[in-house]
Amino acid sequence: MTDGARSGPHQVLLALYALFTLAAGARSIVQLTTQYDDAPVAYWLSLGAAVTYALGWYAIREASAGRTGFASVMLWVELGGVVTVGTLSLVVRDWFPEPSVWSDYGIGYGFVPAVLPVAGLLWLRRQTAP
Amino acid sequence: MPSVSTQITWIVVGYAVLVAVLAAVSAARGSERAAWLDQMAWMLELLLVVRALAGLGPLLGDDRPDSTSTYVGYLFASVLVLPIAMRSVQGDRAAWSSGVVAVAAVAVGVLAVRLQMTA
Repeated sequence: MTDGARSGPHQVLLALYALFTLAAGARSIVQLTTQYDDAPVAYWLSLGAAVTYALGWYAIREASAGRTGFASVMLWVELGGVVTVGTLSLVVRDWFPEPSVWSDYGIGYGFVPAVLPVAGLLWLRRQTAP
Repeated sequence: MPSVSTQITWIVVGYAVLVAVLAAVSAARGSERAAWLDQMAWMLELLLVVRALAGLGPLLGDDRPDSTSTYVGYLFASVLVLPIAMRSVQGDRAAWSSGVVAVAAVAVGVLAVRLQMTA
């Protein structure tokens, strides 16, 4: 948080993105390395979620310093990911014998994964408003 | 009678909820982060360290956790999250910095419960 604006709601977003990078990253790496065959699709999707959160953290940090370009793409990608994986987990149950981070729209994390990109986009809209 | 670890976990969770609520209220009111909130956060960290030390028991005994790597991950994360969060708002007393403390407090509360569940 050295480059961006010093104080503001983005600090809370950054804290949440850092936490979810850690949570999804650690979870997917443990699952991919110790129980790969149980649910490979779900585990790879969890790793994808972790990478998305890491990029989202960077995007929000950049946006807080006025460079909003990357965040305006990345947050939509994240929202698309949550909606797509959430829907797939309901429709193609065979792919998810074990849940992924975004299964059922992030139910395992109190739906925070679904709220996060929306909160980010709302913050970004205020950030880019003249 | 629940085990000592379980009792410490519930103390940690209760205290984490208290810190999270006070931090969230402080942020919502828009007031500067007070020194007492920092003191409460560090007190919570102390409790987490005690919980982590108690959590070493299952790793040393015969009744190991089902997934040792998951358990050790929660053990480390439970003591690291709060200091990292406090470091990130060091020197910044603005209202939103309390929001970061609130997020970290909720996170360590959840981590304490997960630690208990995976033991």
